Amino acid sequence: MGKSVSAIILACVLPLFTSCHEVEEWDQDVVGNFDALWTVVDQHYCFFEEKDVDWDEVYRRYRPRVTSEMRGLEFFNLCAQMLDELKDGHVNLSSSFKTSYYRKWWSDYPQNFDERLVEQYYLRFDYSTVGGIDYAVLRDNVGYMRYPSFSYPVGHSAIDAILSQFALCKGIIIDIRDNGGGDMTNVGTIVSHFIGERILAGSICHKTGPGHNDFSEPYPYYYDPVDNSRVRWIKPVVVLVNRSTFSAANNFVSVMQYLHTIGGGSGMPFSSEIPCGWGVRMSACPVYDARGLATENGVDPSEGCEVDLDPVLALTGTDTMLDFAVARILSDDF
Amino acid sequence: MKRLRSVILCIVSALAVMAADGVKPLRPVTAAYTLEAGSSHLSDTYLTPLKYSGQSFALGYERMQAMAFSPERWVMQLSGRLGLDRALNPARNATMWDLGLELRWGMMHRWDISGVDGLRLYGGGATVLEAGALYLSRNGNNPVSARASWTVGLTGAAVYNFRISRLPVCLRYQPMLPVTGAFFSPDYGELYYEIYLGNHSGLAHAAWFGNYFRLDNLLTADLRLGSTNLRLGYRADVMSTKVNNIVTRRVTHSFVIGVSGEWLSLPRSGRISDNAKIISALYR
Repeated sequence: MGKSVSAIILACVLPLFTSCHEVEEWDQDVVGNFDALWTVVDQHYCFFEEKDVDWDEVYRRYRPRVTSEMRGLEFFNLCAQMLDELKDGHVNLSSSFKTSYYRKWWSDYPQNFDERLVEQYYLRFDYSTVGGIDYAVLRDNVGYMRYPSFSYPVGHSAIDAILSQFALCKGIIIDIRDNGGGDMTNVGTIVSHFIGERILAGSICHKTGPGHNDFSEPYPYYYDPVDNSRVRWIKPVVVLVNRSTFSAANNFVSVMQYLHTIGGGSGMPFSSEIPCGWGVRMSACPVYDARGLATENGVDPSEGCEVDLDPVLALTGTDTMLDFAVARILSDDF
Repeated sequence: MKRLRSVILCIVSALAVMAADGVKPLRPVTAAYTLEAGSSHLSDTYLTPLKYSGQSFALGYERMQAMAFSPERWVMQLSGRLGLDRALNPARNATMWDLGLELRWGMMHRWDISGVDGLRLYGGGATVLEAGALYLSRNGNNPVSARASWTVGLTGAAVYNFRISRLPVCLRYQPMLPVTGAFFSPDYGELYYEIYLGNHSGLAHAAWFGNYFRLDNLLTADLRLGSTNLRLGYRADVMSTKVNNIVTRRVTHSFVIGVSGEWLSLPRSGRISDNAKIISALYR
């Protein structure tokens, strides 16, 4: 008995000498916070290679600019500037007084969308809304639906209702200009009404470790069509996008482009934080289109469909992009 | 092999003795309902690199009974625990919640220590099923870190029945140490969305001391006030896992308060033989 008791006591006590798994810690000062931010991004960000960013070099450039005298806003701006080196709209630094945001992915391009223009001159303020989607039938018997954000929950019943209204239309326009993304599951919900069979929608992979090239094999994912009790659209569809079509909206375009038709941000973002309590968000899981191509820098328009909004004509109530889309649907060769 | 043979012999002899006496010993169930409150220290590098600190609360149920095949020597223990922790980051501007449910079943051999009246030692094994989740509301696509595990491990106890003045007291220290099993973890940067899409590879992991360490220490004192006892105690529970470069750690220190008591199932006749021996799992 004595031996058994000794063995039990030994078995219980021995693991106490094996320490718990270590969690890296940083100092609470500005240097500690800077190092924490750099490290969190270093270990989780997924597009260093695509963006051709040497993150070590970035550290060497920015770290000497961090001084212990730095306070709140000054330190925040320096950190935000460092994150802007990633040129990624999915990267944010959030504090109680400011949120950083990389805007050049859209600010260097024409906006190509004026909500008021569409509502006043095309919808005449007479449209319906369901599931966050505004919709109406335009003058030339073309259906128009505008989904401003994939954050708005949309269900199959809502899509059924919209497509039923468009039953006699020659085609429809899905306007996702200025749609900054949201919930990826809404992409599948909408796409499932526009396909007749299971399709390869794309693939997703993730970091398997802190190294810059530690990635899993891309995992293909598929969308299934809605069942026969739902409304399925088989007539022409044009998807209107601009540079502000981002994230989940960009993913929607990357799927729809191979179906019927004519932005950026393809990394699913991950959140983290640093000791001072600021949150940081960054692209962490690359999503590829059905051909395995990265869409981080956006999806090119279909051939011959690159159109800008003419700002002069916009003043007279003309949305040249919307007119182009209507013309495409009405053309015989669509 | 020798040990197995001795266990079998022990069971057979116990059954033989019971058959000869013709009177089965009575095995009361020792049941306890407890409330735990204390401090919590949470880390999960899937959610955040920072350590969170806060409060821990739990509701517990425990049931112990001498086993039928050898009531003098073997004891069964079943317990369940529902815990809720709330913790803040160092800047105290983000809250992490931990909700967990644990079910445990174990069997222990019991030894009376000669020379120390009232002291008993227990030793055996237990299996634990645990499920829960950490939730960090500030995170967008990765707000939750789920956990699920099934483990088998060692457990033991030192139980000392004594009196303070005329009040019987049962003092117990019981550690529990999982040795092996299986547990769930996503990959380093894998979003639950990818798991939702169907990628279930690499989610289950074999547990061993290197990647799954847990030591649950429980110290209780049952003040036997009458038919119902007051249970006071302290629990120190340390859990630490490291897999796929993700470290998850939960350390709680809690005070335990509750009630315990013993209840007995009477035979259909409703009568207890005068010769019947009562064998308590814990008390004396």
